[in-house]
Amino acid sequence: MNMNDAIAVLAALFLAPLIGGLVAGLDRKVTARLQGRYGPPILQPFYDVLKLFGKEKMIVNYWQIVCAYMYLVANILTVVLLALQSDLLLIFFVLAVGGVFLVIGALAAESPYSQIGAQRELIQMLTYEPLLILVFVGIYLETGSFKISEIIATYHEPLLISLPLLFVVMGYALVIKLKKSPFDIATSHHAHQEIVKGVLTEYSGPYLGIIEISHWFETVFLLGLCALFWHTSFLWMAVLVVATYFGEVLVDNVCARLTWRWMLPHAWTGGLIMSFANYFWIFEKIK
Amino acid sequence: MVDALIGISVLLPFIGAILCFLTKNPRGRAAIIVTTGVLLTLSSLLLFQNLHGPYLYTPGSLLGLNVNSLITFADFALLFIILGIAFKLGNPLVILLTLLQIVPLAYFELKMAPHVEVTPAFYIDNLALIMNLIISIVGSLICIFGIRYMEEHEHHLHLKKSRQPRFFFFLVLFLGAMNGLVFSNNLLWLYFFWEVTTFCSFMLIGHDKTEIAIRNATRALWMNMTGGVAFVAAIIFIFYNTQSMEYLSLQALINHGPGLTTALLLPFALLCFAGFTKAAQVPFQSWLCGAMVAPTPVSALLHSSTMVKAGVYLVVRMAPGYQGTFLSTMVATFCAFTFLTASALAVNMSNGKKILAYSTIANLGLIIACAGINTPAAIIAAVLLIIFHAISKGLLFLCVGTIEHAIGSRDIEDMRGLYNTMPAVSRITIVGILTMMLPPFGALMSKWMAIESAAHIPWVVVMVALGSGLTVLFWARWAGLFVSGPHLKVFEAEENQGFFAPIVTIFKGFSAKSKWKDPASIKVPLVTLAVAAIVLSLGVPWLYTSLVDPVLASYKPGLFVKPFETGPMGLTSGVGAFYVLPIFLVSIIGYLAAVIAAKQKDHRVFSAPYMCGEQYPDISQPKFRSHLNSWKDYVAANIYMQEFIGEDKISYWINSIALIILIVLFGEVLR
Repeated sequence: MNMNDAIAVLAALFLAPLIGGLVAGLDRKVTARLQGRYGPPILQPFYDVLKLFGKEKMIVNYWQIVCAYMYLVANILTVVLLALQSDLLLIFFVLAVGGVFLVIGALAAESPYSQIGAQRELIQMLTYEPLLILVFVGIYLETGSFKISEIIATYHEPLLISLPLLFVVMGYALVIKLKKSPFDIATSHHAHQEIVKGVLTEYSGPYLGIIEISHWFETVFLLGLCALFWHTSFLWMAVLVVATYFGEVLVDNVCARLTWRWMLPHAWTGGLIMSFANYFWIFEKIK
Repeated sequence: MVDALIGISVLLPFIGAILCFLTKNPRGRAAIIVTTGVLLTLSSLLLFQNLHGPYLYTPGSLLGLNVNSLITFADFALLFIILGIAFKLGNPLVILLTLLQIVPLAYFELKMAPHVEVTPAFYIDNLALIMNLIISIVGSLICIFGIRYMEEHEHHLHLKKSRQPRFFFFLVLFLGAMNGLVFSNNLLWLYFFWEVTTFCSFMLIGHDKTEIAIRNATRALWMNMTGGVAFVAAIIFIFYNTQSMEYLSLQALINHGPGLTTALLLPFALLCFAGFTKAAQVPFQSWLCGAMVAPTPVSALLHSSTMVKAGVYLVVRMAPGYQGTFLSTMVATFCAFTFLTASALAVNMSNGKKILAYSTIANLGLIIACAGINTPAAIIAAVLLIIFHAISKGLLFLCVGTIEHAIGSRDIEDMRGLYNTMPAVSRITIVGILTMMLPPFGALMSKWMAIESAAHIPWVVVMVALGSGLTVLFWARWAGLFVSGPHLKVFEAEENQGFFAPIVTIFKGFSAKSKWKDPASIKVPLVTLAVAAIVLSLGVPWLYTSLVDPVLASYKPGLFVKPFETGPMGLTSGVGAFYVLPIFLVSIIGYLAAVIAAKQKDHRVFSAPYMCGEQYPDISQPKFRSHLNSWKDYVAANIYMQEFIGEDKISYWINSIALIILIVLFGEVLR
């Protein structure tokens, strides 16, 4: 492992949660302003997590501990692998590990709330996983590699220009993964539309804290994927990431939660049509 | 030495089977099964050690009889036995299909090409060696598991006279037939072993002689007989189109000259069709699902190491032969469609064995789709998936069988919280499930290779992507159900083992107190397969260089490009990289951290699940305060999406679409 890799790993380990927490704080602030409230301080997510770590350790079942840790580890690993510029599909599979353990943890408690949350989380995974694979395949078709390092080394124009529709497809996945309305079906941060806390119902105290931190990593990972669509210029990369995230917050605030019966068919149909259209575009260009 | 080992691999199961049939003493039979299994395992390992590169062998005579004529004779004898059974069943379709094999075959052997001698009769390359290892090791473990299982099974059925001799006759015979099948180079021999496996599966599925067992066995018979008819047709067309006996050798057929591709395309398509029926691809999936009525060792054997793998083996083996043709793309399309639809149907199931069945069909679809994609990386994905699927699926079937005997149900909803009562078996089942679905395990690695190599055929990769999303869904919730449940006091009794606590916990989980009481014949197969699933996944670089790469080298001698580089980390290629060891190490670290956290004796509180404050005082019982202060049970169940993808709703459409794809395939080939 050379020096650059070591720096990348360290940044992924220590910088990512800071960025993720800050993004969460900004998110809450912007959301509050959109709703006509003043909102909490930007650092509020950090205070929340610190407070959670001071709470009593309350669990229903030992497996929750294992699952919380595995969720964290998997999410850290996705960010590390992203920082090391490795294989997109491999990162995707590691991301799935996190999702699976979150679900197992929710299923471990017998509570009907977390059970329903787990089932919904599974359907959300079912919705976004194929879409993400299609996006990565599109990136491969355009650049000739699944490895981020290769893409950055050999492809010298912004991916967004040749893959605009796939960027929209990834938008679906982002809404689900960032737990934003209308697809915050498994668990939502909008109290008015949540039955208890869905998939997170039975987590509390430090273990909920771990899950929060994992979610920060997840956020950084997803923003990293966005950044990949404009890897040629730092400025435009930043613009794209900020605009995308703001778009997500906006969508979150103007939409109400939908059911999975609506989400699954619509996201798949829309995603498939757009992916095929974009593939067609790429194939035409290659010809 | 090698010749003797080949003889053992093929003939020993036949001898063992006859001995099993004749031995009425259960202990004696058990000894014969174990001995056969051990010898088979040893011979497959020795074969693997001693063979480097393809090995050609033609057995001259057996007990003074010419082997070739012996097999021809046995072939007709078998077909006439099946014909007799068909008349007994009174099933006109089976009669017709049998006659459609007997008459053309007789015409071919007597009139068209009398006294066919194909040399070498056996051609053992690395793919055959891998199959031999899987059949001999996984198959033997399943047979050994069957000893105790069948004892309990017959105990449940209250049989007056044991029917186990017959059962083990066919079970052990199956292994010999499969070994013969994968070694055969002479297509007529291959066809004979092919029909033996069809026949054995028919006898084993109908073993319990209930009405449904006989109905499903008959269905399995006729569906596989259509494959048999296609096989005979393929043999005849090969001879007719080339006017040469040379191409009745599988190896010659695969490495045919460039001028013959058009002439041989129809035989290839017919052989692929035979493979599809045997591998239960849609629209033939119903025979494999129906086979679930058989005792569990049969399901395990059919699904993991034998029968369905015969179909897969043939299509993968022939892959270089039809590379670059229209047929290849259609095979990929057809089987990717199977992968998608079978995964959807698996989501729909709550019966554990049916989930496994549909997942098998899906995985076989993926393997054959890889053969259809037909790039070096895809072939490697196919071979690796054959290996890892055999191990994990065999393991999962045995687990479900063990659980079924303990709780009397194979419904996954009834397996809720099973970790509290059967920790050891549950843990092994969870290992089996995780090795099927998560990185860094081998099954997922093959899926990674499959997607990366399918990327240039958009519709195939879309079907694979959707299907793999569905797979995650049904595996994850099944694993979760096992650990569902309240905190139990048993765990409290366990003391901290100090420094070794994490290590002990890896092996014993959180419930060291409850012992695993099953006998060794159940424990040994379960533990061996679980360990193999993990260790082989970690040893993928080794597996790749020593087993899988040579398969590829023998495919395209001279044109061989190594698609992946191996290293201590995992596999890398020009377009991707899969790190096995780092992911595994990081996961282990995460798990250990969790165990250490769980073992800490600080102020931890066990609470009841949240029930809005109306939880029953005893937290181990799922009850809440309902109207009039009465205590009501609460229940949760999985979402099976019946309204979208109910089996009865979509099967018709799936079968229709699959038939259309098949018609397009043959239409284009015949054009």
